[in-house]
Amino acid sequence: MTTPLAAVEYGGPWEVPPVSELFTFEAFAFEGTIFAFNRVALLVLFASVVAMAILWIGLVNPKLVPGKFQVACESLVEFIREQIAIQVIGADGVRWVPLLLTIFMFVWINNLFEIIPLINFPPTSRIAIPFFLAVMVWVLYIYLGIRTQGAGRYFKESIFPPSAPKALWPLIGPIELISNFITRPITLTVRLFANMMAGHILLTLLFITAHAFMVWGRGLPVGIVGFVASPVLIGFEFVVGLLQAYIFTILTAVYIGSSLHPEH
Amino acid sequence: MDAVTTLVLLATEEGEASGLELVLPDTAELVWGLIGFAVLMAFVFWKVWPSIIQLLEERQQAIQGKLTEAEEIRVEAEELRRQYAEQLHDARTRANEIVEEARSDAERVREQKVADAEQEAQAIRERAREDAVAERARLVQQLRSQVATMSVDLAGRIVHRELDEEQHRSLVDDYIDRLSSMN
Repeated sequence: MTTPLAAVEYGGPWEVPPVSELFTFEAFAFEGTIFAFNRVALLVLFASVVAMAILWIGLVNPKLVPGKFQVACESLVEFIREQIAIQVIGADGVRWVPLLLTIFMFVWINNLFEIIPLINFPPTSRIAIPFFLAVMVWVLYIYLGIRTQGAGRYFKESIFPPSAPKALWPLIGPIELISNFITRPITLTVRLFANMMAGHILLTLLFITAHAFMVWGRGLPVGIVGFVASPVLIGFEFVVGLLQAYIFTILTAVYIGSSLHPEH
Repeated sequence: MDAVTTLVLLATEEGEASGLELVLPDTAELVWGLIGFAVLMAFVFWKVWPSIIQLLEERQQAIQGKLTEAEEIRVEAEELRRQYAEQLHDARTRANEIVEEARSDAERVREQKVADAEQEAQAIRERAREDAVAERARLVQQLRSQVATMSVDLAGRIVHRELDEEQHRSLVDDYIDRLSSMN
């Protein structure tokens, strides 16, 4: 069903829209350089501006007796502080709240762009965005592990957990090595990237379905189903975007906590 | 059709090159992503977080201040309540004293009045008795005089002889005195 539906939007007879058209964009400035500025770059910067605006209005120059918007922003910070930083890292997790707040806001706003009319594209569905975040977290927790425990102890205990019987070390060692230092950044990246990419494809297909079958009259009932399902899927994608931001943030806290407090 | 199947279908349609393009990070997007994130992080660290810390401190101080103020007001209210209770107790004691004084004054006045009344009654009785005695004496004297006169007159008629007026009166008086002493 995908082929004819997509073809309608793209003018051709029954052709799938190229995936590159859904996820890759031409640079409109600095083309050919590492600063090639395309739609993704614009949206990422815009997401930062939106996040800063929200935080500026809600939390910079706050009132002692807060208004509704300030209460919402304070609740977010409170949630990250109490339920993520302190809960996962411990009492010293408070100093990591600014970083966790930044990660949450950055990922959430970028995810949210998926369902914002006229934008309808999540920059996090481009692997570069989750990838650099995951690499940053990866570098950070390894650095913290080395700084807190010393390089030798950190790597040794990360690969060969002291609580595990020595006899199992040959089996556990490679698993822990891959798990702690290789799959962590990959899963962090792919989890966010794949969810947002799949969501974007689903929404695109659903919108094309509704449009093609209702406007072009290729089958009104199918179009109506697509039209009715659209807000449901938008709501679903809103939850997915929020949940992915939360998951990325809490996993960052877990990794930081595991480096700071390996005994836990 | 789930998302993965859709993705695979679209990727297959486009061929291997575009599929690989999707899972390899674009350098420029990495750079701009990093810039966007760094700007946001700098903003959070330099503007948002200090504001939050300041807010929490101000709120803590405000709450602490209110609590201290409330405690001071409570202590003050307790002191006032104690003073009022004391004043009320004093007032009640004073009122009781006043009532007691009034009662004793009233009792004293009553006793005085009773005593005065009794004294006055006694005086009235005394005066009445004296009046009665005087009246009696006057009547006796009057009666004596009349009886003497009548007796002289009567005796004169009986004995037909003239008695000396002075002797006769003396006889009557003597008689009346004896009569009186018989009573």
